[in-house]
Amino acid sequence: MRLLADRVGHRYGTTEVLRDIGIAIGGGEIVCIVGPSGCGKSTLLRMLGGLEQASEGRVLLEGEPPAGSLNPITYIFQDFALLPWRTVEGNIRLVLEDHKLGATAMRAIVDDVLERTRLKDFRAALPRQLSGGMKQRVAIARALAVRPAVMLMDEPLSALDAQTRELLMDDLVELWTRERFSACYVTHNLAEAVRLGHRVHVLSRRPGRIRETVEIDMPLAERAERAAELEAMQRHIWLVMREEARAADRELADAG
Amino acid sequence: MALTRRQLGAGAAAGAAFGIVRNARAASEKVAIGILPLVSHAPTIIAAARGYFAAQGLDAKLVTFQAAEPMAVGIASGDIDFGVTAITGGLVSLADKGAVKIIGGSLAEKKGVDGQKVVASNAAYAKGLTDIAGLRGKSYAVTTAGSSFEYVAYKAAQKAGFPASDITYRPLQTIPACIAAVKTGQVDAWDMLPSIIAILLHDKAAHVIAAVQDFIPDYQVTTVFTSTRNIDKRAEVVKRFLAGFSRGIDDYDAALVAKTMAPKEVDAIVAEIHKYVFAGMPLAKARPHITNGVMHVNKGAALNVASVADQLAWLNANKLVPAGSTMKKLVDTSFVKTF
Amino acid sequence: MPDEASGPAPARAVAVREVPFRGGGFRPRTNSYVSWAVFAGLILLWEAGSRLGLISPIALPAPSQVLGALVDLARTGMLWKNLSVSLMRLGTGWVLGSILGIAVGLAIGLFTIARAALMQLTSALFAVPKIALLPLFIVWFGIGESSKIATILFGTFFPAVIATYSGVDNVDRNLIRMGQSFGLSWGSIVRKIILPGALPAILSGLRISSAIAIVLLVAAEMIGAQYGIGAYILQAGSLFAIDQLIAGVTILAVLGLLISWVIARAERRFLDWRS
Repeated sequence: MRLLADRVGHRYGTTEVLRDIGIAIGGGEIVCIVGPSGCGKSTLLRMLGGLEQASEGRVLLEGEPPAGSLNPITYIFQDFALLPWRTVEGNIRLVLEDHKLGATAMRAIVDDVLERTRLKDFRAALPRQLSGGMKQRVAIARALAVRPAVMLMDEPLSALDAQTRELLMDDLVELWTRERFSACYVTHNLAEAVRLGHRVHVLSRRPGRIRETVEIDMPLAERAERAAELEAMQRHIWLVMREEARAADRELADAG
Repeated sequence: MALTRRQLGAGAAAGAAFGIVRNARAASEKVAIGILPLVSHAPTIIAAARGYFAAQGLDAKLVTFQAAEPMAVGIASGDIDFGVTAITGGLVSLADKGAVKIIGGSLAEKKGVDGQKVVASNAAYAKGLTDIAGLRGKSYAVTTAGSSFEYVAYKAAQKAGFPASDITYRPLQTIPACIAAVKTGQVDAWDMLPSIIAILLHDKAAHVIAAVQDFIPDYQVTTVFTSTRNIDKRAEVVKRFLAGFSRGIDDYDAALVAKTMAPKEVDAIVAEIHKYVFAGMPLAKARPHITNGVMHVNKGAALNVASVADQLAWLNANKLVPAGSTMKKLVDTSFVKTF
Repeated sequence: MPDEASGPAPARAVAVREVPFRGGGFRPRTNSYVSWAVFAGLILLWEAGSRLGLISPIALPAPSQVLGALVDLARTGMLWKNLSVSLMRLGTGWVLGSILGIAVGLAIGLFTIARAALMQLTSALFAVPKIALLPLFIVWFGIGESSKIATILFGTFFPAVIATYSGVDNVDRNLIRMGQSFGLSWGSIVRKIILPGALPAILSGLRISSAIAIVLLVAAEMIGAQYGIGAYILQAGSLFAIDQLIAGVTILAVLGLLISWVIARAERRFLDWRS
């Protein structure tokens, strides 16, 4: 199954935020979207996830979702979006309860995703007892529980400190190596983009258009060791983006 | 020694000077008088408006209350000097604590003069509640336990020859609530001053089944009272107040009850009363409410001690007042004529 | 340089002093022993003042007299009789008012039409003093139990409405979006995300409305009530039996404390997820 944006554009009132975006997500690849602040990357992600309607163009699903997928397009939020009144297990159960799975099946899924994200010992913990990194792991476990075909990740590591971010990036790489999930990963952090993306779309400042697409043909598992090559790639993307970011910065200051 | 004597002398001189000042001030002694915005308080209003208190050397200030209870408490606390209200459990309780005393009579039932009536709701009347004997087993609106309403119902039962406990009392706290309950037939009966009964009858919302004076002759409805402190320390002021008040009563009687006064003078008096009573209505509209259903007020603020004693006995019997409340604690008979 | 290994030590030649501590304070703690002691001390002072004649019996009865009135109430069985009818009125009015209020508040929080139709109306009616409407309540609901329950119901309904819809308004929109992104049904989102998210606000609304209910009990029992703590207080007031008056008020105060304790327990039980 593939998720396609077909010439998507969007405006809030008179402000045009996105123009003529065409991207495809699927085939077990991670597509990263980077761009300066206010370029509409999060808006684009919400449209891909059906949480917002595009004013131009269409968002399309190609092919059938894999059998057993409970929620083919699944979101991961920057602020984790965990229910504070539910335990780790309760938060995972929340997204399964509407599917009438039966007690044993549900239990099996919960056990499985807790195992895969190494959260077994935290089953009964409340979100407030967890660190930011652990919270995002819970959110990832919750996403895995519904067996998504495409994961939409909205700056999932931005709320975390640098060390936790490194750890979670390793986790994501390991997880992808095992599961080969497809994802659209929105971030403003270029290091994340080159570590996790098979393809990186660089958006221009508002209205966001695709400035450049960078294919990174290096296995995810090897990237931690080949930091120098990644650094060059990150530098290249930064050069593309720098002018846009500077202009956007000034624009926002003017607007303010 | 000499020094001390001189000091004493100076003290005496100062005392004398104070004495002079006090005498000078006594010429215009300040008194606060509590009233309710009812026609029955007209004698006070008239006396103040026509300068009868000033003639007695009193600088009288009228303070309007919406209920009798806070007025009684105001007198006990010394904020108010004189007031007129029904004999209630609250008043007797304050008297028992030594704070207030009745010094005269005011509103009273009198043969030949309009008086309080007992009414039945339309529904109860239709079902045969047409006289006080019919009150047996019926419900009766009262403001609070121990209020004059309960006393009237008790006297009605006594007259009709059945125990007062056969009547169910419904405490409704305020007069408007009682009116609403009678109008909607939620209580069977109630008693009230003639001016308000007239409004109920005008709305065809109730039927009169008895006049209170038929079963409580010469009922002393309201009394004049003051603080015991005033009686002990300012007896002269109390006397002068009652003198001014009595002149107010005479004018009230001539203008509204006996109607012997010249119409022009009556108009002036009604206009004065209107400043306090039915003040929310234009004078022309308020006039009939003021002049109709006016009750008798005892001349010279004379007090019907027998009636007061009967009411106190009833309050005592029903344990609505502190045990052992006596007439001695409640009434000071030295100021007015009693009967 | 063996000295350096053991960490920085103050130089000998220069005057050395400790940095003065400037933090602390501004964090009052509750100490139940102190609050009980103050309470007991005040009562003792009050009793002494009354006995010595410093406090006039017209201004305040002695605590022992109030206790006497309470004992009289208990001995004659009137305490339970008054309390039971009052609790019935309070309970029924408060529970019904709260349930209706939460339902209407939810509707305002969830539906545009309900919000447009009811929000201003609620704000307007909330401010209306229910006591002023008592004569009308007699016409509408009679002088039986229903008018008393209605008084309390009306008084508790509006705070519950306002607490609920502002609670719903303040639920983290991102959590709702999360629910939608996982394809949760509308009912699940309301039941599992919005209601628990609004619960802190609803519970603090209920705390306020319980206090309002007790305040309104006296007003409710102005209408043809023969028994009840409110009726007892009113009668004591009209008879100027201030020992009974204070005794009745004490019962209401204890009732208020009890209810607030129960709600605090409920908060601890249901809101333990808050830090």
